[in-house]
Order: sequence, then structure tokens, then C-alpha cells
Amino acid sequence: MRRAAFRGTKPGCPAIRVFPKILVVKAGGGPTLGGMFRQAFIAGVLGSFVILQASPIVNSLVRIESTSQEPNYKAPWNSGEVTSASGSGFVIGGNRIMTNAHVVSNARFLTVSKEGDPKPYPARVLHLAHDCDLALLTVEEPGFFRGTVALGFGGIPAIESSVSVYGYPIGGTRLSVTRGIVSRVDFQPYSHSGMDSHLTVQIDAAINPGNSGGPVLQDGKVVGIAFQGYNGEVAQNIGYMIPTPVLRRFLKDVEDGHYDGYVDLALTYRNLFNPAARRALGLRDADHGVLVGSVFGGGTSDGLVHPGDVLMAIDGLPIASDATIPMDGDSMALSEVVERKFKGDKVKLDLLRDGKPLQITVPLNEPWPFTLHSNAYNEKPRFVVFGGLVFQPVDQNFMSAYEPDDLRLRYMFDFFVEDKIFRVRPEIVVLSGILADPVNAYASEFRFSIVDEINGNKIRRLADVAKAFAEPAAYYVVKMAGGGRPIVLERKAVEEARARIASRYRVTREQNLEK
Amino acid sequence: MTMRPLLLALTLAFVANAHGASTLIRPKLPPAVETGNNSVLRVNSTNQAYDFLRPWMKKAPFSRRGLGALIGGGRILVTAELIANNTFIELEKATTAEKSSAIVERVDYDANLAILRPVDPAFLAGMKPLELDKGVRVGDRATVLQLEPNGEIAQTPGTVTSITVGGYPLDGMGLLLFRIGAPMQQRDGSFTLPAVRDGLLLGLLMRYDSRSQTADLVSSPVIKHFLQETSRPIYGGFARAGLSFSVTRDPQLRRYIGLIEPGGVYVTDILAASPADKAGIRKGDVILAVNGRTIDQDGNYEDPDFGRIAFSHLTNTVFHPGDTVPFKIFRSGKILELPVVLEARDRSKIISESYVVDRAPRFVILGGFVFLELSRPCLQEWGAEWVKNAPQRLVFYDAFQHELPPDRGKIVFLAHLLPTKETLGYEELGNMVVAKLNGRPIKSLDDLAEAAKFPVNGFQKIELEEDPGVVFLDAAKIEANRDALIREYALPATLQQL
Repeated sequence: MRRAAFRGTKPGCPAIRVFPKILVVKAGGGPTLGGMFRQAFIAGVLGSFVILQASPIVNSLVRIESTSQEPNYKAPWNSGEVTSASGSGFVIGGNRIMTNAHVVSNARFLTVSKEGDPKPYPARVLHLAHDCDLALLTVEEPGFFRGTVALGFGGIPAIESSVSVYGYPIGGTRLSVTRGIVSRVDFQPYSHSGMDSHLTVQIDAAINPGNSGGPVLQDGKVVGIAFQGYNGEVAQNIGYMIPTPVLRRFLKDVEDGHYDGYVDLALTYRNLFNPAARRALGLRDADHGVLVGSVFGGGTSDGLVHPGDVLMAIDGLPIASDATIPMDGDSMALSEVVERKFKGDKVKLDLLRDGKPLQITVPLNEPWPFTLHSNAYNEKPRFVVFGGLVFQPVDQNFMSAYEPDDLRLRYMFDFFVEDKIFRVRPEIVVLSGILADPVNAYASEFRFSIVDEINGNKIRRLADVAKAFAEPAAYYVVKMAGGGRPIVLERKAVEEARARIASRYRVTREQNLEK
Repeated sequence: MTMRPLLLALTLAFVANAHGASTLIRPKLPPAVETGNNSVLRVNSTNQAYDFLRPWMKKAPFSRRGLGALIGGGRILVTAELIANNTFIELEKATTAEKSSAIVERVDYDANLAILRPVDPAFLAGMKPLELDKGVRVGDRATVLQLEPNGEIAQTPGTVTSITVGGYPLDGMGLLLFRIGAPMQQRDGSFTLPAVRDGLLLGLLMRYDSRSQTADLVSSPVIKHFLQETSRPIYGGFARAGLSFSVTRDPQLRRYIGLIEPGGVYVTDILAASPADKAGIRKGDVILAVNGRTIDQDGNYEDPDFGRIAFSHLTNTVFHPGDTVPFKIFRSGKILELPVVLEARDRSKIISESYVVDRAPRFVILGGFVFLELSRPCLQEWGAEWVKNAPQRLVFYDAFQHELPPDRGKIVFLAHLLPTKETLGYEELGNMVVAKLNGRPIKSLDDLAEAAKFPVNGFQKIELEEDPGVVFLDAAKIEANRDALIREYALPATLQQL
């Protein structure tokens, strides 16, 4: 489920935009970690003074070393800084290795190594699912999987039952095992994308950087993958694993060779405890139904569900007034029904509209269309440089890189979906930087302004900027959203400045329109 | 008039401080006219602001102490900030500690000025009023007056370092200010301090930055304008042309718009129904001259007294509301002369006011839901970082209010909830903008109070601009539980303040 749809939809879940600081358990550096754990990853030369007991799990675990390149949104023509990190993974059927997406995101070179085998094997990514932080790898080298044992999957472990976490966290180089109990099963944000929430299991076993991607076992079966936890300053003994419904869904989704991702109802709903509200909406019983607040334009429910409708049942499961449904012998968030579905599936909704019951079927054709607020990986920053002015489309990566204070920009970004800004601007294009030069000497006040028009052409996407500047004209007149004077660039001056700016600022390319 | 951003980052550093910490030796003064302590008075103002999120309550009172300047007519001039939200004002003679309570005769929060008058007219007998200074120049010497605990005048010499148009504290309106460099010491009761030059009142100190040792003064021309307005039958205040502009330094821009004249500023916005709007000035016009004074590319003119200063000084201070000022405009290659009839802003038309002082903020409580009208002080309840911490939609409404339709009216929002059993399930609602109540559009709290009289099918139906969209309350039950709500939360019996 996406966060926009998640906001304020659960009782006791106020509309908070900022996620709690969840640390992605990724070791060896990388932007999610800071330098804190880097020092722990000096290659291990501790010697083998402990003899690992011959346990079958040893034959399933791998340590993953990833060399990645983080794009630099502030100098988008550069290829980015190279960093390395390590995580854990395990062998599953079909000669595949399962791990977290964040272990292998932006990877340029990957190796895996097995316990007791000195050799690192080059690996390659088969599938990446950023929305649920999962990845599948394989190793081409014949013989790698010989002797490995594919792990099987279990169910959702019971509260208070014991689980063991296997992996390669900081504090040493060899396999580490920690043990704890299942603390709770809940819907929680997945911090890798920053926007998605799925079922998670909270355990009190220590999970540390490097554990990411490692299996959590109970009775010899995988019941989850360790993936995130809180920084010790925030909370203690809280670690999260991705439970098997999410793992199984991922494996099923990629069966056709392609990961489609989660589908979503793309609407918000709110509890219906209030007796007056229940009577006003024509609800007869005491405790069923939730009220639809917004239906996002362009989403799956657009036109089918209306704001003000009451959701009574989903796929025949009655919806309680706190937005839960009976499922798997437990009470689950109603979104769990859609969580387990795939692109192309349908979901049946029982509604109450203007007091009259209504049954509709929502085809879940398209995944959530708004990726603006999700962290993006394996993407090249897009930009256009013209006359030393750098234009970029705004997304979460952009916002994280620049953290701009500009109010109008923050408004358009924050309310992009809710206020349907996407209808006017499928992309918010801003003047993100100025490579100072005589040609743009008077443009500095426009940094982070949103580009509205160039030479009379409305700018709806970055590509429109490239197109407008490609048209021959004596003057290029750039108008910004919210008024203000236009930026005027004379073609002659831009042409004179072009080589000078490129060499002075080492701008190796003037535009990139592809992700 | 929204002006180009001004460079002001000074802080109020002289709020009441402990007595007598200053033991520095005062430098020998130049043999200027000695300003006796019979022209200044201690002003102690007890102020109490409303709680803008719970406007039926006032916050804890606090006191501000400053020095007022005696001017003609038995009046005492202070900054408006000193006495904002006052509950009690007391004048105290420097040497005798004789006291009299005082009333506010006139206050202008845009200009940060107020006139006080002692309740006892004989109180000022024997004191000597100060005359207003004129013709000060950058580089002139000035003296800031403070009082020692024993009533002696402490004079800090300083130099006028710049004369410029800058933002005044409460509204940020750009008015002429004098900046002086003076190594001031912290003394008790220095919230407002008069500054003099050769025994004449140069201005009132309204900000002091102790690091750079610079003070900003409400300038004598602004004081003069204020006093002139005060003596008119109807106080008109300070006019605003109602336009914003941008500089035209960029030669590429100048060539593009065909501007051959050397100066001029580019009009970027016109406030609806403002003097500029009524005069026919449009976005994209270039203002070349105001009242015959040539405007340079930064929006300054050459003032005979103060040198290059922003032309808004002409429209807000040199001229008065009701005056007609000709604007020379360049539009699509043609020169136009447009007469602008100046007007002060009608504050009742402001969507989100930048300050609300001396009056109770409005509210309506309906079944435990607290409804307010958006104003900057509401947002400032979120603390110094309110721009980031306050509810973002409300921040944006405040910031971009000039872009809203002219008939938008006030932004009425459901601020928070005083939970009762009638509001069960609504606990997390708050800071949401109201679109309609019982099907009637809401453009003010008056609309809301009126619409509440007409429940639909027995329900108060509140429609919000955002999730959850619609909220229902049982009209009969909230009416029946009205007294209990008032009792439980100690609310005023009216449950509203309009």
C-alpha cells in the first residue's frame, strides 16, 4: 500500500508526512547509513579461531558484496560516487538468491560468497522490487549452487514464538546468529522506497547493518527476511523482517519474468465510529464500514468509487469500522486484500452510496501511478543545461539531495497527488542550479523556481524544456510559476557561453531525458 | 505593497533585563545639546496576548519596559510593539519615580508607532517636549538615550550608517528606517529607546543587534507622517500602491522588452482592487518615474534629503492616502502617465492577516470542534520554525493568499477538537480547511455561525477541503450537551467570539 493512500486512513494514524527514522540495515556505507558503520567493514582478517558447527543453514547463506554508484543529483551529468556495501542473502529454489533490494540497488558490480568457500562469485540481479525491498540474484558460474541447500518458506510466525536471524552483520566477518521472539505483526512503512507500507513482523532479535537480506528462520523454514530497524537512539530491540506473504507475492509476481509491483486502490478512507456519522450515512449496524475520503485521479478506483462512499466489504470480507477485516484467523488491515493481488486482478467492493448498497468490481490494471514521493534507484538523474541554467524534474531523490526551502516548490511536491497538481504538471520542472556565467548573471534569484513557460510553450515535463530550447529563437524567455520577471537569454549569448560553461564546470553532457 | 526582499536580520535584543549590570564608563560626549531627562519617560506596559489556537484564553501576561519621548501636545511617543496587546500602561518619571497610568491615543502597527497620553494631564507639567529632527545624513552623529537605574540619562553615541527602506517588525511593510552603529549596553527597560541628534528626535529604536552593534530606528519622516495623519479627522495611515516589482538590471531582459531608458522596474504583480490596479498598472509594465522622480533599475529614486532610496517611500510616507501620485509607465514601447490615487489597505479584506493585536481572535465552537480563521499569529503558535512545523496547507494558504480568488473570503479551519462522546472517532481531526457547513459555503466564521443554525436532517454536516471530506455531528445532541461541554472545558458560555 502506498503512503498517500495510507495517510490518515487508519484510526490512530494521524496524517504524518515524515517517517520515523528507520535505519535501513545496510552495512559498509551507502547513503542510508552515513559513515557510522563504515569502519566496521574492513575486510575480515580475524582468523578462524571459532569453528562453525556444521549446520545445514551454512549451505544456504551467502554474503553479498555490492559496489554501487550513487547518482549525484546536484551534478547530474556526473556518473556518481562509487561506494561499496555488504549484506546477506540465501539460496532458494531455481538457483536463485533472495535478498533485499537495498543491498543491491544501484549496483555496478556484485559478488556473493559462501561460508567455507574462499572465492567470491560475480552475481547478477534477476529481479528488483523496490516497493517491497526484495531482490533475486543468480550466479552464472557453474558449480556455485552445487552443495547449496535451497531454503523453504513457512508462514507468519506466532506472537511470542522464537526466531533466529542469520547473516553477516557488523562486528565480525563470519556468519552471525541472533535469536529473539516475534513481538508483533503489523502494517509498517518500508523505508527503502519511503512510500510503501506492507505487512511486517517485528522481532526483538538484534538486527544490525549487514543483516539485511538474511533469512529469519523458525523450525528450519524461512519466516522472514531481516530488513530494517531503528537507530539505537530511537528505540531498542526493535527489528523488522519482511514476512512470507510479501516474499511469496514477490516470487509469484516475477513468475512471468517481470516484476509488476503492487497494485493499489488509490483512495483514502477513515474509521466510522461516530454514531451521528453512521446514521447520517444510512448505516444500520453498529460497527461496519469505513468512509472514503479521496479517490486519486488516474488511480484504479478513479470514477468507480466516489468520495463519501462507505466501503462495507472487500472481496466478501466485512470491513469493520476501524478498517480491519477478518483474514487468516486474525484481524488485518483491509488493504491486505489488495496487497496480495497482482496487476490484472480484480477486487470486489461492497459500497454504500447515498444510503444505497452497491457492488462494484475494481480492475487492478495499473500500479500506483505516482512514484514522485518514492526513493528511486537504478535511475539516472534527468536534466537539461541551457545557458548555464540547470533544469531538473522534482522527485524524492531530488528533494533529498537539495532539501530546498522554497515554499511553492514544497507545496507542489507535497500536494502533488492530493491537489491534483499532476493534471497540470505531470512533472514539476525547476531551475535547480545556476552554473554562474555572464550569460546568467541575473538569474540567481530564481533558484528552485518552478518553470511555467518557455517562449510561450507551457512546460509540463522536462522534455518540454529540451524541446523549447531546441527551437531557434532570438530570445529564450523563461517564465516561472507565481509571476516575477522572466529570465531572458539571448541566443547569441547562450551560444557564446556554451563551450565556456561546459569546460569550466566539466559538464560532460547538456541533457539527459531518460531515466 | 510587496517590495523586493529586503536585507534585515536584526533581532530584538533589548527586552527587559536585570538591573544595573552595566558598569562601563561612558565615553565623553561631544559638546552637543544636552538632552535632559525631562523629555523622556519610563513606559511600563503589561501586555497579554491571546492564545490563537484557544482564543477564549489569554496567555500569561508579561511586561515590556521602554523609554517614551515626550512630544508636543502632552503626548508620549513609543513603538507600537512596546504596548501591543496591553492591559495596563504606566508612565514613570525618570528621577522622581512618580507614576501615572496612560492610555493609547493612537497606534499604527504598520509603522510601529503609538501615542500615549497620561490619564492625569498635569503629570507632564514642567517637562520639555522634543522636536522632530529633519535632514539627517549618513555619517551624522546620533545619540541613543537610556536611563540609569538612578534616573540619570545614559547617552550612547553612534553614527548613522544607512538610510534605507526596510521591513518594519509586525507586518514587514517597507518604510524608511535609519540604521545607526552604536555600542549599546544592556540596561533594564530598553525595549523602546529614543535617539536624538542635536537635541532633536531622530527616531525610536525598534531593533538592536548586539553582535553587529547596529540599531534600526523608526525614522523621523515616518513619525512625521504618523503625526500628520493623527491630526487629520480620519486617520489614514500609510498607503500601499499594491504592486510588486522586480529589478531590471539584466541587459538581456532590458533588450527583450525594448527598454531603452536607463532605469525602471518591472511590475511582477498587482494586488486586486489596490491603487495600482485601479490606476490601470499591469503586470509587465515598467515603472520609469513616480511623481516626476526617475526610478533606477533597482527601484530607487534620488531623494533630496536621504539619497537613493526605494520609491515606496514616496507612496507610503511622503504622500498620504487620498493623494494622487503620477506614475510614468513604459508599456509595449509606449510611455503612459497613470495617476495613482493612494489608499491605505483595507485590513478587513486581508485573507490571512500578518498580525492581530489588541483584539480577540474570532472563533466558533460547535459540538467540541474549534473553528478559527487563518491568520499568521495562528501559525506562529507553532514556534519559531512555524514555516516548517505548522500544518503545511495552512502555511501555503498564508504564503500564497494573494493568488487566491478575490472573493475567497477568510480561510476557516477546523483547528482541533475538545472531545466529547458526540465526537467519538473524530479525535485525530485538526487543522483542516472547511469548505461548507450544512451545504452553505463558508467564507468567514460569521458564515459558519449562521450555517450552524440550519442543520440538515438533524445533522451538522461539515464538509472539509481535504480528507476525510465530510464529518457529521448530531445537531440535537450537541445542543443538549452544550452546557456540559462549556462546564467540562471551562469555555465561554457563548461558545463563540465574532
